[in-house]
Amino acid sequence: MKAKAEHKTNWTVMILLILGLITIAFPLYMTIIIAFKQPSEMTNSISGILSLPSSWSLDNFREAMRVTDFWNSLKNSLIISVLTVGLSIIIHSLMGYAVGRNKAHSKFYNFVYLFIVSGMFVPFAILMMPLAKQTAEMGLGNWVGVIILYVVFYMPMNVLLYSGYLTNIPIALEEAARVDGASTWRTYWKVIFPIMKPMHATVAVITALSVWNDVMTPLVIMAGTGQNTLPLAQLNFQTQFGTNYNLAFASYLLALIPIVIFYVICQKQILNGVVNGAVK
Amino acid sequence: MRKGKKVIGAALAGCMTASMFLTACGEGNENSGKTEIEILQYKPEAATYFDQVEEEFNATHDDIHLTIDSPNDASTIMRTRFIREDYPDIIGIGGDINYSYYVDAGILADVSDSDVMSNIKQSYKDILEALEIVPTDGTYGIPYVANAAGILYNRDMFEEHGWEIPTTWNELMTLCNDIQSEGILPFYFGFKDTWTCLAPWNSMAVALAPADLCKQVNRGEANFTDEYREVAEKYLELLEYGPEDPFAYGYNDACTAFANGESAMYPIGSYAVPQIQQVNPDMNIDSFVTPASDTKEGNTLNSGVDLMFAVTEACENKEAAYKVLEFLYEDENIQAYIDDQNAIPCKEGDFELASQLDGMTEYIESGNMTDYQDHYYPSEMAVDAQIQTFLINKDVDAFLKKFDSDWMRYNRDIIREVQEYEEENGND
Amino acid sequence: MRKMNDRNRTFLLITIPILALFICFNTVPLIRGVYYSFTNFKGFGDYDMVGLRNYMDLFTDSRVGRSYWFTFRLAVCATIITNVISLILALGLNSKIRGKSFFRAAYFLPNVLGALVVGYIFNYFFTYILPEFGKMIGSEAMSGSMLSNEKTAWIAVVIVCAWQSIAMNTIIYISGLQTVPEDVYEAGSLDGATGWKKFKHLTFPLIIPFFTINMVLCVKNFLMVFDQIMALTKGGPAQSTESISYLIYNNGMSGGQFGFQSANAVIFFIVIVAISVAQMSFSARKEEQL
Repeated sequence: MKAKAEHKTNWTVMILLILGLITIAFPLYMTIIIAFKQPSEMTNSISGILSLPSSWSLDNFREAMRVTDFWNSLKNSLIISVLTVGLSIIIHSLMGYAVGRNKAHSKFYNFVYLFIVSGMFVPFAILMMPLAKQTAEMGLGNWVGVIILYVVFYMPMNVLLYSGYLTNIPIALEEAARVDGASTWRTYWKVIFPIMKPMHATVAVITALSVWNDVMTPLVIMAGTGQNTLPLAQLNFQTQFGTNYNLAFASYLLALIPIVIFYVICQKQILNGVVNGAVK
Repeated sequence: MRKGKKVIGAALAGCMTASMFLTACGEGNENSGKTEIEILQYKPEAATYFDQVEEEFNATHDDIHLTIDSPNDASTIMRTRFIREDYPDIIGIGGDINYSYYVDAGILADVSDSDVMSNIKQSYKDILEALEIVPTDGTYGIPYVANAAGILYNRDMFEEHGWEIPTTWNELMTLCNDIQSEGILPFYFGFKDTWTCLAPWNSMAVALAPADLCKQVNRGEANFTDEYREVAEKYLELLEYGPEDPFAYGYNDACTAFANGESAMYPIGSYAVPQIQQVNPDMNIDSFVTPASDTKEGNTLNSGVDLMFAVTEACENKEAAYKVLEFLYEDENIQAYIDDQNAIPCKEGDFELASQLDGMTEYIESGNMTDYQDHYYPSEMAVDAQIQTFLINKDVDAFLKKFDSDWMRYNRDIIREVQEYEEENGND
Repeated sequence: MRKMNDRNRTFLLITIPILALFICFNTVPLIRGVYYSFTNFKGFGDYDMVGLRNYMDLFTDSRVGRSYWFTFRLAVCATIITNVISLILALGLNSKIRGKSFFRAAYFLPNVLGALVVGYIFNYFFTYILPEFGKMIGSEAMSGSMLSNEKTAWIAVVIVCAWQSIAMNTIIYISGLQTVPEDVYEAGSLDGATGWKKFKHLTFPLIIPFFTINMVLCVKNFLMVFDQIMALTKGGPAQSTESISYLIYNNGMSGGQFGFQSANAVIFFIVIVAISVAQMSFSARKEEQL
C-alpha cells in the first residue's frame, strides 16, 4: 500500500475518465428512473423524461416479478446458465488442450481447429429451422437441448481462447508429471486444468453473459414446453401494439443484478486470464 | 488441486440430479382418460382473458382438458412447431397472408361443418375465403374478432372547437386546414416504426383501389401503378398535416404525443387505444372511417379478421375441438374479449362495442367493410418500408414502378400457382 | 514409445466425441440449411427444388446488395472507432488513478444492458435530446433526428454498436497493457521516449496479440450485427440500415423466404470466413515482423 501511495495520481486522466463515465451514467440513470415511473408519467419532453419519478414505489418491480413469474424464470435461467458454463469449462478446455497441443505439428488437429473455429461464423438463422427439427426428433426439444446447443455454439470461441492460452504453458510441466508415471489424462486434470484457472474465469464470464441474455435459442427450442427463461418472460412486456417500458425496465434491472455480481466476482480472474493467454 | 477436482465432481453430480429431477417434473402432469386439446394463439396481450376461458372450460367439462398457450413471438413458435410436426389442435391466428400460406400448405382442416360457423357474419367469412391463394371447397378458419383502422381523434378537442367528422376527402382537407389555423397539429405519425406507415395506406386504399387488387394482379389482369396512384398521391397530401419530421418518431412516441393532446387526430387502428390509454387513462377517444373517397358513398370501413381459430389437420379429436370452439364462441365469452381488447365481434348478435368505435358503428352494423390490403402482401417484400421510403423521397412514379416489379419477384411462386389454376379451371 | 501412444490415444479419445457433438449440432444442421438454399422452402409445408435460382437472385437483388454495403461500412467504421477508444480507455484505466476497480466495473456495464433498454434510451437520445442540443448550439445539421435521415442513421448505429462493445475490448486491452513490464518503460524513458513515441515504439508492439484478438472479435460481431438494428432502426429509414443478418432473420424466419435467405446465409458465411482467415494471417505476419 505504501509503495502505491508514492506514485502520484494522474488527475488529468482521472478527470477524463470521470467525464467518460457520463456516457455510462446517463443511460443507467434513465433506466432507473423509468423503472420507477408510472406509464402516465411518460412524456416526450426532455425535462419530463429526465425528472425524478413522483414516488419511489417498488410497485413496478413487484408487478414485473409477477408478470415474468420471476423466481421460476430465474431458476430456469440459472440452471441453464450454470450448467452451460460448467460443461463449457470442462468440454472446451479439453478440446482446447487436445487441439492446442497438437495443431502445430499435426495436419489433422490443425484441420479440426480451423473447422471448429469457423463454426463461429455460421449465421444462427440458417441453423435455426434445421435445429428445431433435429432436436425435436432426438427428443431434445427442452432445456437439455438448449444446454447442448449452447455448448456447441460457444465451442469455437472458447477453443480459440483455450488453445491460445495453452501455447503459454510450458510442455515441460507435463513431462515432469509423465516421468512420475502419470497418464496423460491424469496429468491433464492434475496439472493443466488447475493452471488454466484464470482462463476458466474468462470463459465463464463470456459464456454466462451470452447465455444469460439469449432469447432465440430457448424461444425456438423450448417452444411449447411451458417453461420460460428470464429473457423469454421479458418478451411479455412488448407486443406489436404496446410496450410497457416501465415494467420492462424494472424487470431488466432485476435481471441485471445476478450477472453483474458474477462479473465482479470473476473480474480479477479474467484480467489474469487474458494476460497469460495471448502473450507468447 | 484436489479441491478443484472435487468441485467439478460435485458440479457434475449436481447436473445429473438436477436433470433427473426436472425431467421427472416435466412428465408429471398427464390427465389420464381425458381428451387433451391444445390451443396456440398469437395474441399475448389477451393472455389474461384466455387463461380465464381455459379455467372456466376445464371447470365445466369432465371429458376434455383444455390448454391455451399465449406465448410471446407466437409466429416464430408456430413455425418451429410446424417444422417439428408438433401441431397444436387449434391455432388462433390473424387473417393475413400467413393464413393463406397455411391453407395452401394443407396444415389446416376443413371446419365448414362446425356449428359455430352458421352464426358468423358473412362479410368476415368472405374476407377469409378471399385470402385463399386459389379457391378451395372448404372453409379453414372461423373468424373470432376483427379490428378496424381509420382515424382516431380527440373527442374533447373536437367538441371544444366545434369540428365536424369529415365524410369526404375535401372535407377532411378543410378540417385539417381549420385545425392547423388554430395552431394545433392535425395528425401525429410514428413512421420511424415502418409498420405504422401501413395504417393510413390501408384505410385509404380500401376506398380507392379494388378490394381484390392483389388477386387481380396475380391473375395478370391489373397492375399497381394504375390502381395505387391515387392512394399514393393522397397520402402525400396527408403528410403535410403531420409533424415536421414524422420519421423521427416511433409508434410509441406517436401514441404518447396523441395521448398528451399534441395532435387532434392519429391515423391508426383501434388496437392502439390501450397503448394511448396507458399514458392518459381518462382520454376521450373516438374514431372515424378515413374519408379517402371524394363521395361519402365511396368510403368503406377498413376492417379485417384480427383473430380467428382454425383446427389443424393433425388434430386427432375434431369433435372435442369443436366443443372447445363452441365454448369460445359463446356470446358472453366474445363480449368479455371485446371489452378487454376493444375488438369488433365477427359473430352475429347484440354485442356492446367500445365507445372508441362509436364513429364506425354505422359501417360495422351495415357490414360495409373491406379487408386490409396488406393482408395480401408477403412480409418479406417489406411494403411498409417501401411506403416509408416513398414518403421520404416523395417520388410517386418510382415507388409504384418498384411496387409492381417487386411484387412479381416476391410472389413468383404464388403467381405461377394461380395461373396454373386459372388454366385448369378456365375462369373466363 | 508406449507413453507416446498413451498420449495420442488420450488426445483422440478427447477429440472424437467432442468433434462428433460439434458435427451433430453445427455441421449437420448447416448442411441441411445449405440443402434448403436450393429450394423455395417457406419454413413450413411443401417445397420444390429450384436449382441455383436463389443464388442467381441474390446477385440481382438490390436490397441484398445494399445490405452488404451497409454492413461492411458499419463493420469497418465501428471496428476502428471501438478499437481506438478502447485502447485509449485502457491506457487511462491502466494509469495511476484511484478507484481502478470501480471504473473497470462501471465501464463494463454497457455490455450487460438488454437490447430493449439500449434501444429505448438511444432512440430517445437521438430523437429528442441530441436535436435539442443541436438547436441550442445553433447547428443546422444536428437539429434533426439522426435516425430519421438516411444519410446519418447508419452513423447512429455505429455509435451504439461501438458504445456496447467498447467494454469487452477495453478489458482485453487492459490485460494486454499489464503484460508490459515496467523495465521496458524505464529503459524507454532513459532513451527519452515520451507520449506518442513511447506508445508507438514500446507499448503497442507488445500488445499486438491483443490487438489481433480484438480485431477478429470486432469484425465478426459487427458483420453479424442484428440486436442493435432491431433495437434502434428496424432497418429504416428507407431501408438504409438493413444488415445482412437482419435480412436473413426477418425475411427467412418471419417472412416466407427461408430458401432464398438460406442461400444468402451460405454466401455470407463464405465471405465472413474468407475475411477472418485473411485478417488472421495478415495479423500473424505483422506479429512476426515486429
